[in-house]
Amino acid sequence: MDKRYAALIQDDRVHGSLYTDAAVFADEMDRIYRRGWVFVGHDSEIPKPGDWVTRQIGLEPVIMVRDRTDAIHVLANRCAHRGNRLCWRDAGHGNGFQCIYHGWTFALDGSLRAVSHKAGFERDRADMPLDRAAQVERHRGFVFANMSGDAGTLDDHLGAGGRDLIDRLCDLSPTGNIRLSAGWIGHRVESNWKMWPESDSDGYHLDFVHASMLRAQPDNYYHDTVIGGEQANVSRAVDHGSGHTELDLRPSYSRELAWLGVGRDRVGGYCEAMVAKHGKERAERLLWDGPPHGFIFPNLFLGEVNVARIDPIDVGAMVHAHTVIQLEGVDGALNRRLLRQSEAALGPASFIVPDDAIIAERMQLGFQGLRPPSNGDARRGWIDLSRGLSREQRQPDGTRVGHVSDEVTNRAFWQHYRQVMESRA
Amino acid sequence: MSVTDLPEAVRREIEAFLYLEARLADESQYDAWEKLVTDDMHYWVPKGAADYDPNERLSYINDNRARLATRIRQLMTGVRHAQTPPSPMRRIVSNIEVLAADGIAGTYTVASNFVLYELAVQSGATLRIWPGRVTHRLRRVDGELRMSEKIVELVTSSVAQPNLAFLI
Repeated sequence: MDKRYAALIQDDRVHGSLYTDAAVFADEMDRIYRRGWVFVGHDSEIPKPGDWVTRQIGLEPVIMVRDRTDAIHVLANRCAHRGNRLCWRDAGHGNGFQCIYHGWTFALDGSLRAVSHKAGFERDRADMPLDRAAQVERHRGFVFANMSGDAGTLDDHLGAGGRDLIDRLCDLSPTGNIRLSAGWIGHRVESNWKMWPESDSDGYHLDFVHASMLRAQPDNYYHDTVIGGEQANVSRAVDHGSGHTELDLRPSYSRELAWLGVGRDRVGGYCEAMVAKHGKERAERLLWDGPPHGFIFPNLFLGEVNVARIDPIDVGAMVHAHTVIQLEGVDGALNRRLLRQSEAALGPASFIVPDDAIIAERMQLGFQGLRPPSNGDARRGWIDLSRGLSREQRQPDGTRVGHVSDEVTNRAFWQHYRQVMESRA
Repeated sequence: MSVTDLPEAVRREIEAFLYLEARLADESQYDAWEKLVTDDMHYWVPKGAADYDPNERLSYINDNRARLATRIRQLMTGVRHAQTPPSPMRRIVSNIEVLAADGIAGTYTVASNFVLYELAVQSGATLRIWPGRVTHRLRRVDGELRMSEKIVELVTSSVAQPNLAFLI
């Protein structure tokens, strides 16, 4: 049990040094990213045996690959011999992996297949596979991995709330399947990674940070769902437990398909396919409710039709990488609409996230020079997260719910963070 | 008319257009810059090389005329925090090649290299360097050159980019 974090994280405030202390960052890479479940990718990115993509888990480079039995492995992108990086491209396809340093070859499951000039090599090849994530599990195609192997089951990690967020996204496809085939756009931000689980699920900042987008795009659905203060909308901030959070926009939508920005006349074929798949009543519900706006601890953002992952770089830098869902069983025009919608919202040149990035970078600058409360700054440098604390309500299903502008989601992230950082010491 | 017998005066006119477009972008003169585009303008900053269909994959920017108008409207609100204040910028435009010319239709395809220096004053005031290649499609409208397409292939486009909220 590491007691240091209790002094930095209280129920209603956290200390700014958590964003700038390199020792905290090192703890996070171990306790959160190495010893917990982390989102890696989606199985539609590697549809055929031999397909692979490169990713990182915490700071460690990995390969997500599909083998001939359709099992998905998450392997260290590092030769088991001398550590040379095996895959240099973002994605590829092959029968296995060959290290170009000394020619060793590895099978798609990471086992060592052959060693060049084998007479001089005395070890058993079976003892020399690539390092790998000890646990790899999927939910609706979303691949999660845990390096250490002692993180429990993915089901327990996601819980009912996390699974429901993913299910609600995938159920918008008339086949129940989405594809992440549109490529990833990386947005580099000079901020600590934790500002993104906070910012992506913050329902209090839209009027201010995104004022320019709201003025330039007056027909945006955000007007109904998160703008105008406490009386004007009835969206909810939700703590699903285990650090998973949501801005539940469903109560605020004023018409069906608002999240898509079109009427039924424009996407009639899609609506019919949804009815065929789900039945009329449920299809109409799904088309009204749209995709979730949620964050799955520690690195997966479901931002309506977008899927983003947080890649930490160091204590003061990270990449917000996103793609957009493509629906199976719909015409090309609908998927093109999703692409265009995504380009407007996320990425370094979009209308929304660059303004969040500026806030994150200015916060990071603001926290420079702070010392931890135990060593100098006990009264300074606190971040207040008390908003709505007394009016949030615990529901029968265990979730905590408040007004969309309340800091329910921020508290949910930090309380789970504290529990992980203390218990995995 | 082939590219090789392009009149010198037209070549100079094309170069002058590229330099003007670059200067207006550098100085965040959004109104004046927007006057240089045609009604069917396509403004594209691809992820990687411009060798794919932007209807299949995401791009950094893939603006039609209406989306570009929104972009400029947002910049002109005065509260586009990612460009408040606007980044001081200067770009060097060079290696200009006219790749295709149709003097009768008044259309020209022009490639050039650029290096843009940006001081990201909105947060850490770091100097950012944006090298790349631009392909302009120009068209004569009422006697004046306008651009109907600007494709910007960044040297760094395969990796994560910092904020790109200005006109590149």
